[in-house]
Amino acid sequence: MDITNAEITNVFNFATTQAKAIVDLAYIHIGICLLFLVTVVGLTAYAVLKFRHREGDPEPEQHEGNLKLEIIWTVIPTLIFAYLGVLTGLVMYQVNPPVRSRQPDLIVTGHQFWWEYKYPKTGLVTANEFFIPVNADLLFEIRGADVIHSFWVPCFGQKMDGIPGHPNKLFLKPIKKGIFLGQCAEYCGDQHGLMRIIANVVEPKDFEKWQQSQLKVPAAPNDEAAKHGQELFMSRTCVQCHAIAGTAATARVAPDLTHLADRKSIGAGVIANNLENLSQWIKDPQKFKPGCYMPKMMLTEREAHDIAYYLENLK
Amino acid sequence: MKKKGMDNVIMGMLVFVASESIFFLLLVLAYVNFHKVTGAQAATLLEPVKTGIFSIALFASSFTIWLAEKAHEKQAIAQFKMWLFSTIALGTIFIAGQAEEYYRLIMDKITIDRDLFGTTFFTLTGFHGLHVIIGLLMLTLILGLSLWGRKHEPSEVGLQSVAIYWHFVDAVWVVVFSVVYLWRYVA
Amino acid sequence: MTDSLHHHKVSNWLAEVPEYQGLWSWITSIDHKQIGIMYILSGIFFFVIAVGLGLTMKLQLCVPMNHMLTQSTYNQIFTMHGTTMVFLVGMPLIFGTGVYLTPLMIGARDMAFPRLNAFGFWVFLFGAIFLYFSFLGGGAPSGGWFSYVPLTSKAYSSGTGIDYWALSLFVTGIGSVATGVNLIVTILGLRAPGMTLQRVPLFVWMMLFTAILTVLALPALNAVIVMLEFDRFMSTHFFETASGGSALLYQNYFWFFGHSEVYILILPAFGWVTETIPVFSRKALYGAGFVSASTVAIGFLSFGVWIHHMFTTGLSFAVLYIFSLSSLIIAVPTGIKVWTWIATMWGGTIKLTTSMLYSIAFIIQFTIGGLGGITFAVIPLDWQLTDSYFVVAHLHYVLVGGFLFAFISGVYYWYPKVTGRMLSETLGKIHFWIMVVGFNGTFFVMHFLGLYGMPRRVWTYPHGMPVLASLNMISCIFAFVLAASILIFAFNLVYSFLKGKIAGDNPWEAWTLEWATTSPPHPENFERLPPVHSRRPLWDLTHDVGENGSESGDMKAGEQKA
Repeated sequence: MDITNAEITNVFNFATTQAKAIVDLAYIHIGICLLFLVTVVGLTAYAVLKFRHREGDPEPEQHEGNLKLEIIWTVIPTLIFAYLGVLTGLVMYQVNPPVRSRQPDLIVTGHQFWWEYKYPKTGLVTANEFFIPVNADLLFEIRGADVIHSFWVPCFGQKMDGIPGHPNKLFLKPIKKGIFLGQCAEYCGDQHGLMRIIANVVEPKDFEKWQQSQLKVPAAPNDEAAKHGQELFMSRTCVQCHAIAGTAATARVAPDLTHLADRKSIGAGVIANNLENLSQWIKDPQKFKPGCYMPKMMLTEREAHDIAYYLENLK
Repeated sequence: MKKKGMDNVIMGMLVFVASESIFFLLLVLAYVNFHKVTGAQAATLLEPVKTGIFSIALFASSFTIWLAEKAHEKQAIAQFKMWLFSTIALGTIFIAGQAEEYYRLIMDKITIDRDLFGTTFFTLTGFHGLHVIIGLLMLTLILGLSLWGRKHEPSEVGLQSVAIYWHFVDAVWVVVFSVVYLWRYVA
Repeated sequence: MTDSLHHHKVSNWLAEVPEYQGLWSWITSIDHKQIGIMYILSGIFFFVIAVGLGLTMKLQLCVPMNHMLTQSTYNQIFTMHGTTMVFLVGMPLIFGTGVYLTPLMIGARDMAFPRLNAFGFWVFLFGAIFLYFSFLGGGAPSGGWFSYVPLTSKAYSSGTGIDYWALSLFVTGIGSVATGVNLIVTILGLRAPGMTLQRVPLFVWMMLFTAILTVLALPALNAVIVMLEFDRFMSTHFFETASGGSALLYQNYFWFFGHSEVYILILPAFGWVTETIPVFSRKALYGAGFVSASTVAIGFLSFGVWIHHMFTTGLSFAVLYIFSLSSLIIAVPTGIKVWTWIATMWGGTIKLTTSMLYSIAFIIQFTIGGLGGITFAVIPLDWQLTDSYFVVAHLHYVLVGGFLFAFISGVYYWYPKVTGRMLSETLGKIHFWIMVVGFNGTFFVMHFLGLYGMPRRVWTYPHGMPVLASLNMISCIFAFVLAASILIFAFNLVYSFLKGKIAGDNPWEAWTLEWATTSPPHPENFERLPPVHSRRPLWDLTHDVGENGSESGDMKAGEQKA
């Protein structure tokens, strides 16, 4: 898949200011954890070695407590945790400041088992793959259409749940360009495991170009195969779920397919997007993503091919 | 609550009551959580005065069972049986009132599945009613044992623990009645 | 307890105790020892099943895009693995050891309500079997062990799996509350003369708070199950967003139960190691007062942290922050115990029996798990790592590296008392080392899987993510090493039952009352009780103690009674 040149997915590979703040906090936290761990392991190991029973050992002195020591080992951890508590509050506020009345730049809606992306400022709607400009202070809104999903791109920082009836907000300021991968992180049913996120961070002018191309209504098909494909698309059940701008297909139950041709994958990151794969997918999506809600269509090879051809040639 | 020297059965009943209190607390909180949506309906559909009268029967039954315990302590068995019977009668009157209210609501198509009001109202009052009925069964059992004869008399501890349960069921109704029926007078 | 008992024919082997002959005596038993054993055997049985489910999951995940299992089967398996481990393994093991040991440790003849005890067990077993019947009844539940709505509403889970989950847990929950009530009344009401609450063994103190948490937390599970089933069967609207219901209400109620549940599981584990470490260090528990107080603190605080399972649900800053602080604070009383165990060992003379090895491993592994837990209390870190394999690592460190290791420590310690025979120390040490390697190899790498972005509850993961593939493979291989160690343990249990060395009353020279009777204890527990002046009645018998027992300050070493 074209996503092989994606950035390594790793929480330390920060690509936003928010992710960086979390990584900085993580380093401090790791230091504190290591301190505790080394102390516990060290003392335990030392005790086991030094005070190991040897033949003829007398009964040891039965010390039953030392108030001062016990207070110390209560107070010091408390202070350390209090320090962590302060840092927690500060980074929380930095990563997730109050939204007030700001409107989102991108509305992410989790569906079983795909992602819908809507840019309210331009009305652009797409699916499974999105673009955002680098160095922009963005506000995402995360929604769930059916069950609870969770939008997680580790390089971007925190995850945020998409809960039906309870839209959530997520601030992201990307500082690195590239392709970043993520996944749904709240068990949402059969294909929770294959509900991937593909994020593209590009220069602002490239973002504009992308948006414009996505808003363009594609021209009507002009060769036989494509025309046939469109005919099939409109007359078979495809139109009941999928939308294509400029046609009678306006359903939003399933991913918008207007600019499917530009995407890197099919099925939310399941297989690479090319004509052959798309034909196979259309013919039997259950083969690739069993349990997803696109049924096997009872199409012939030719029919599936033509529909795929039509979709891949929408420009 | 857990003092030394307390009879084990009494202690067990108190712990059980504490446990059930949490169950009811959560059902009440669910009702409260949705009150913005359900409050208007509660105000129009429910009849606090009528239910209040039936509630008084339930509250009075806490008094009569206390009198029954006192009588039993003093070995005034005839009085004990009378107060126990009154408790059961008053509890039954309460249940009859609940049943009538349910009937009226259901006939008006206000059912548990109709909306959030139906959901929360019937669940909360329904579980309470269920607990009252279980209490009535236990009280009837006690009365039955005491009527059966000398060899089958209920023990002091048995009576006391059922009484604790009965008071608990009453206390829950104080809360439920206030939250469900009286809220309209506060907001 | 000085009622004169008939002199029983005392057997030194469980299989030969006259009162325990025949299946019928077990089915109709109201003897806390038989009921305790039945609980523990059930727990072990379901443990083996759940490990099998776990190994199947590991095999499915060892390579990317594996089609060994379908996604639908995998989802049922991981749901059943988690549900079984928490409810059908954890709970019976704590209640089994609780009802077996508590009366013995407090010098009582049985639990306060022996019939209620039997009721609790059989209700549990019925619920457990009912859950597994789902495999035959149309499919096991596949909503995860916590069955979040809306996924588990009728609209998105139309089969009966979820109903089996809900109803079986409702039933086992009733058994748990019954046993909780029983334990509280037993501990508060049936202690031997002289045994004040300050003098109960720490395991008993921990069981008291476990029982208190049980009776207060399980009703929350029952409430949420009632609401879920009403939504599913009667079309009520508790969790239905379209009609004004709230998906978050489910999570709040479930985790109010769920968080206390994990403390219900870990407190007895603390109890087991708090009994074994002093005995094998030949030293009194250090700072017992702080340990007791910290248990009370954990009890209270456990009801005040539940939102930390919901940090990514979009709640307000204030709510999130308060629960972050409470989750950080609860680490303090937990940490106190770790320092105490180390201080107990310090200056002692440590006998590295298998039981002690498991307790020592517990200290270290539980600390790792606990630090993972603290990571989640630091909300921005939780925001990255929740719902990933980092959580899976954390929970297995505290529940396997913690709870299971502590349980095995307890088994090696108390098996002689229960059966009259010693477990083989040689086999014990072999399986200990294999288990340490297997356990850590399986679960430590999961921290990294989480850091590399692998979410939880996924039936597979994509090609082209090399770290995920290799770490999953490593984890899978070590899982089989862990399973092998469990087999050796099982063999030891059976072999030693038949051929183990006769244990005698007090093979470890321990100090609490259960060691003041025969092994196995005869059906009425005690013929005579030693006087109780401290937490260590048997130690007092062999040392020169004043009227206040060994509470009157540090005892000099070697001050033995003439």
